[in-house]
Amino acid sequence: MISTGASKVSYLPERPNIARRLLIEPNSFAWQDAAVARLEELVRLEKGWDGYSASPVSLANAAFALQMLEVICGVDSAPPQIVPGFEGDLQIEWHTLKGDVELHVKAPNDVHAWRFDCEGGAEEELDLRNDFLVAAQWVNEVSEHPIAFAAAAA
Amino acid sequence: MTHATSRPDGLPDFRNPPLNEVVLGVQFSPVKGYQQIYAGEVWNLFKPEYPQVQEMPPLAPEFETFGLSSPSAKINLVTGAAHDRFWFLTSTGDELIQFQHDRLLHNWRKVGDETNPYPRFEAMLDRFRSELGKLQAYMAAFSKPALAITQCEVSYINHIDVDSSRVADWLRFASFTNEPDDFALNFRQVIRDKEGRPSARFNCEAATGMKSGNRQTIVLTLSVRGAPNGPEIDSALDFVTSGRNVIVSRFAELTTDFAHEKWERIK
Repeated sequence: MISTGASKVSYLPERPNIARRLLIEPNSFAWQDAAVARLEELVRLEKGWDGYSASPVSLANAAFALQMLEVICGVDSAPPQIVPGFEGDLQIEWHTLKGDVELHVKAPNDVHAWRFDCEGGAEEELDLRNDFLVAAQWVNEVSEHPIAFAAAAA
Repeated sequence: MTHATSRPDGLPDFRNPPLNEVVLGVQFSPVKGYQQIYAGEVWNLFKPEYPQVQEMPPLAPEFETFGLSSPSAKINLVTGAAHDRFWFLTSTGDELIQFQHDRLLHNWRKVGDETNPYPRFEAMLDRFRSELGKLQAYMAAFSKPALAITQCEVSYINHIDVDSSRVADWLRFASFTNEPDDFALNFRQVIRDKEGRPSARFNCEAATGMKSGNRQTIVLTLSVRGAPNGPEIDSALDFVTSGRNVIVSRFAELTTDFAHEKWERIK
């Protein structure tokens, strides 16, 4: 909450309290629980977790990744694999019999996207900022139960 | 370089708008080498104009992203060792800077009997530009580039005193056949650039509330959030200015002619 509320207002009905810890509203999806748990684990890694000098995943990158996943994953999406990088970055991956999608979150608003289509054997790469509609389509195409994509796009 | 911001000619304008608070803000990548123990030095940058300080819980990182339509679930990650947020306040408390290791915000708000005048956006933006410049110069001692801005926000919080009138007298988008005792509504819209690409998100929240003296009020909060075109201060201020223009235009669209008359619309 960035407003500072000098004027006292009692809300009717009472507005939900904004929690300071992990908060998932009741409409969360299955992938969210797994992704949040994994990201919380990665931001708590010790410095040098790889046996050398790798940093833990930065909170900014983890938060960005989560908000990226919100606009990529559908209701029934399978949880992706989330792999820490060396410099606080992370990679989010889906691997199925239909293909592979990898999203490298280098920094907020700086994502390298790659996919491999098993059927056609084609690879594709893109640099993305904050619009992940293409990545959402890729993930949908490799998922076991693809959705009617056009209807779900914002 | 000194900038003087001017108001666009075509923007709706009100002599007596129901504004209660305005917030201009940026989020930036944490500066390598900066630690919370230096927060007092940051306060020293602003202390002559903001002599009071308060400690607040930190704001979690937030980013606007676009793709599939999502239900806007609020998910926050907290690591435990979070930096505090500090409020640096003017002596009257009507303006304040909010600072934490990855944020700088400038708030104006009504205080006391709520008669303190709104300094207008242009004056606020010029102050915010100066404050960002001071912070950037300070942070440059730790690492360069000092401030890599990743997200911007502008918010207008209006308190609309409705007395015994209907909600629909004030808000075009909230017309009820049977007037409710209370309500809370919100909606979001993607803002697109000239090429049709999503560039920001407009948020509207309206809720009934009660102020001192049992005055029934609608709190109408309009915000624009998103990533600036580049990480530097000028891009961030361009975003904030565009966001303000969206908010003021949408405010005029979302509120009624009756309300405009009460607030003395002049454009």
